[in-house]
Amino acid sequence: MSRLLWSSAWVLLLIVLLLSLAVGRVWLPPSALLDGLFAPRPTLGGLILTELRMPRTLLGLLAGVTLGVSGAVLQGLLRNPLAEPGLLGVSSGAALGAVIAIYFGLATIFPLATPVLGIIGALLAGLITFTIGRGGTLTMILAGAAVSGLAGAGLSLALNFAPSPYAAYEITSWLLGSLAERSWSQTLLATPFILAGLACLLSTLRALDALTLGEAQAASLGINLERTRLLGLFGTALAVGAATSVTGSIGFIGLLAPHLVRPFVGHQPSRVLLPSALFGAILLLAADIATRLIPTAVELKLGVLTSLAGTPFFFWLVLRLKRTSP
Amino acid sequence: MLSSAAPASAPVSAATPRPAKPQRIMSMNMCNDLILLMLVPRERIASITSLAHDAAKVFMPGADEGVPINHGTAEEILLQRPDLILVSPWTMSAARRLGEQVDTPIVEVEEATDFASIRRAVRQIGAAVGEPARAEALVRRMDADLAALAARRPRKPLRVVVWSGDGSVPGRGTLTDAIITAAGGINIGARRQDGGYSSFGLEDLLAARPDAIMQGVGSYGAPSLHKANARHPVIDKLFAGRQIAYPDAGYACGLPQSAKAARDLARAFAAIPRGGPRW
Repeated sequence: MSRLLWSSAWVLLLIVLLLSLAVGRVWLPPSALLDGLFAPRPTLGGLILTELRMPRTLLGLLAGVTLGVSGAVLQGLLRNPLAEPGLLGVSSGAALGAVIAIYFGLATIFPLATPVLGIIGALLAGLITFTIGRGGTLTMILAGAAVSGLAGAGLSLALNFAPSPYAAYEITSWLLGSLAERSWSQTLLATPFILAGLACLLSTLRALDALTLGEAQAASLGINLERTRLLGLFGTALAVGAATSVTGSIGFIGLLAPHLVRPFVGHQPSRVLLPSALFGAILLLAADIATRLIPTAVELKLGVLTSLAGTPFFFWLVLRLKRTSP
Repeated sequence: MLSSAAPASAPVSAATPRPAKPQRIMSMNMCNDLILLMLVPRERIASITSLAHDAAKVFMPGADEGVPINHGTAEEILLQRPDLILVSPWTMSAARRLGEQVDTPIVEVEEATDFASIRRAVRQIGAAVGEPARAEALVRRMDADLAALAARRPRKPLRVVVWSGDGSVPGRGTLTDAIITAAGGINIGARRQDGGYSSFGLEDLLAARPDAIMQGVGSYGAPSLHKANARHPVIDKLFAGRQIAYPDAGYACGLPQSAKAARDLARAFAAIPRGGPRW
């Protein structure tokens, strides 16, 4: 990617980060927010900035990077342009795990239960999709759709069985994702798992580059394919599982980000990864800002906007696949 | 006690003269259930809804013992053969149509969302079941409670908001608003133009600077996403000593006991430190 594009991407990220801190349901001038940061006693601006908007922005950044990176790694690993945590059922599996932890009281006894069950859910969903879907682009996507459907049904079922009368009402939060009113404790609980997952995913870079030549060729170059697959799967489960246990499942970012950057950086996975992380974060934060700006009675869910932006692109991808494949 | 499985061949026709006081009353709404339990002996109740037992435990422990239940479905009307059906405006229309077909009188009671409509509902049900005097006594007791409360109204009313963490707060035209007002408080949620439940997030909460926040406890306390939001650390940090826990059950239905809920709330208001929040 040329220098100019790189720097404009970073500027774009900086802009959405600042906007995410500046925009909310309650409009406050940036000066009031800044003053609050350094005021000796709590002020409205300081409280809103440090207690509400900062954890939300950090969570958006982490979740966006997670989706961007895991999308890029899965697409390289499976050599499948449609691979991403949402379409492979990993996100829904994670949401199911988190729902079980929260609504049946595990999380109140043991706070780590939410990210841990989210990760287990993601891992199981990923394992099933990977095992059943082996053999081609289409079978993998079909397996992913089946696992997504299963996990989504399980999630609705779990929420209907949950003792809280609000549970059924909160299905949309889990199916469509939301960053609204998450606290520092929820964000910080998930962060170490997300970072560990990202580290696993980044460690597959060299192997992914070799894999573009084909499995046999990669093996002949000394790449341990099994190890790479496990790292990709575990990394995705850790990062996506932990992020989703706080945000609910957010679709399309993982699909969109790698495809958006490929025209600029080429198809070598190691070159796609970082720009994809950057754009994942930019897309997610921009969508989250839009949920706060669009005037609706109840704040829009994040997934509404990511799907609205993502599906046209998905159509384009399908049409292109139809053109290029025999 | 009457069995819920009365023989289906029990004669019900327009020709049979009805007793002056209905003897097999079926209630298909939880709030009507509770008023009904206060007005008639349980031998005269064919069934109340499955939801009523939890609420009855709070208001009149034991009063519902042995009373059969229904689930608000049309089939149960045929099975239980009531001679009076109490419904709400939201009762399933299939159940109503069926009630009309089997020629059973149906009385629709509006949801009580303030003290005037509580009086209306109690009197309406009292008249329908043939116990107007008992209904009048219930209303009189409630009005005495309200008058006592009004006499002790605080000079500077507390500004409060009900915070449940689900992104909406009860506003104008809700029973909660009526109870807060009767307790001598000002409901911040009612200032907003959109009546009923208006949307209200954490940022709105901080910007509104309420003197205290009210949080419902009870059957709605099971863990959920919005309970986690209701316990957002910023809430505990900023509203230490300014949180009022109130029983959800007392605010679910407009009843003569709602005046008692207002009295309890007024006591809780008195315990809140003066001087407003600290930001």
